[in-house]
Amino acid sequence: MLLRNLKKIIMMKYIYALLALLVCSFWSDPSALALGGPTEQLRPTLNVVIDILLDPSLKGSEYKVERRTKIMGHVTQVFDFREMSKRVVGREWKALSPEKQDNFQKIFTKLLENAYIGKLENYSGQEIQYIGERLKDDRAIVSTQIENNGQLIPVDYVMIKEGARWMVYDINIEGVSLVRNYMEQFKSILRRDKFDGLVKLLEEKNRTFE
Amino acid sequence: MKPKKMFIIFLFLMIVVVPVAGSWAEDGEGSVGLLDDDGKEDFDTFFEEESGYDPLESMNRVFFQVNDKLYFWVLKPVNRVYSTVVPIDLRQCFGNFFDNIAAPVHVINNLLQGKFTDATIDFSRFLINSTVGVLGLGDPALRSFGLEPKPEDFGQTLGVWGLGEGPYLCLPLIGPLTVRDSFGFAGDAVTHPVTYVSSTYLDSTAYYSADKLNLLSLNPDLYEEMKRYSLDPYVSMRQVYLEYRRNKVLDKKVENNIINDL
Repeated sequence: MLLRNLKKIIMMKYIYALLALLVCSFWSDPSALALGGPTEQLRPTLNVVIDILLDPSLKGSEYKVERRTKIMGHVTQVFDFREMSKRVVGREWKALSPEKQDNFQKIFTKLLENAYIGKLENYSGQEIQYIGERLKDDRAIVSTQIENNGQLIPVDYVMIKEGARWMVYDINIEGVSLVRNYMEQFKSILRRDKFDGLVKLLEEKNRTFE
Repeated sequence: MKPKKMFIIFLFLMIVVVPVAGSWAEDGEGSVGLLDDDGKEDFDTFFEEESGYDPLESMNRVFFQVNDKLYFWVLKPVNRVYSTVVPIDLRQCFGNFFDNIAAPVHVINNLLQGKFTDATIDFSRFLINSTVGVLGLGDPALRSFGLEPKPEDFGQTLGVWGLGEGPYLCLPLIGPLTVRDSFGFAGDAVTHPVTYVSSTYLDSTAYYSADKLNLLSLNPDLYEEMKRYSLDPYVSMRQVYLEYRRNKVLDKKVENNIINDL
């Protein structure tokens, strides 16, 4: 009797070990289950960002730089600022030298950081509701809702699959595209002031947030 | 002017101008199918789409500046006083009140678009909120009965009927519009119950202003934030307005509910 129980226990342990091994192997393989679909990839990042925003030890303007660096560290994991930059510049992007592309990505990311993290900093801990996701080939839309002053505001994250990762390349607030909005603004600026003029205007805009 | 007279003018506009307007291209109206473009290699065709027809841009920009000044010199100080004097709960009640009074407009336009279920919902909301909701100050239809508002206006109806949006306009006091929505605006003014209670322009204008002021007091930072985050606020506002209205016409919300069911 005792021996049979012991055998059973050893058997169970063996199975658990096997299971653990299996899980670990998925863990180490980035293309495997561990990463999950668009919502599963987006949710943890947004959660961490909210945690940072609500962290009392990081509150206040004296911690602004530290807080934003932390947030951007997480945000860049799931937001593709390269793709966004490419899209707001439009067809002229391909003609730019890699240095110019990199610099543009840097200052445009800075603008988005100033604008939207700046806005999020007023966040007071409303829950993000995940309404659903839609998939089509390598694209996805993750629909969320957030409450503001008693109104529900739909926020959609438009994502593209890059390898195993789902990356956000546009945000639609009430169905209005953020990237398209900047693209439209930049279109006439590019026509009038060319690319260098746009860079100058962006840098000026960023300075107003300092 | 009597509502009847306004309606005749409106009818005239519809008959004479609509056939002309109908020939406007509806270039920019397919913008909702985000997943329907062909992947990232094709990203420039994705953005080839027409941004909206704005042949009057130079005039619009002048009026945009006028509105901007009006906002900072008049609207903002007035709103500051209003928001201090009237507490937010009460302002939300006023918001409900204005929405409730506009119910006939919503019902009529749901009917005109063949959305009979939505028309019934809006009608029930009107009945519930006008009685249990104490003259529409509360919204028990939503809170207790889960009836979500289905607002439709005449601009949307014209869009559903296939009328192109026409040139973009930015008008003093009124703000962004398209020509289609300016007809919608006139149509809504005619069907709005306020015009039956009083037919003077002054009353209608006062009512309209109070409605808009109350709305602003509930979303006070919207305009200034938009200005702060954009390099060209005029273009940004135009884009927001056009996309927002196009989504309304196409009932993008419906699409969201479909996702819900998946």
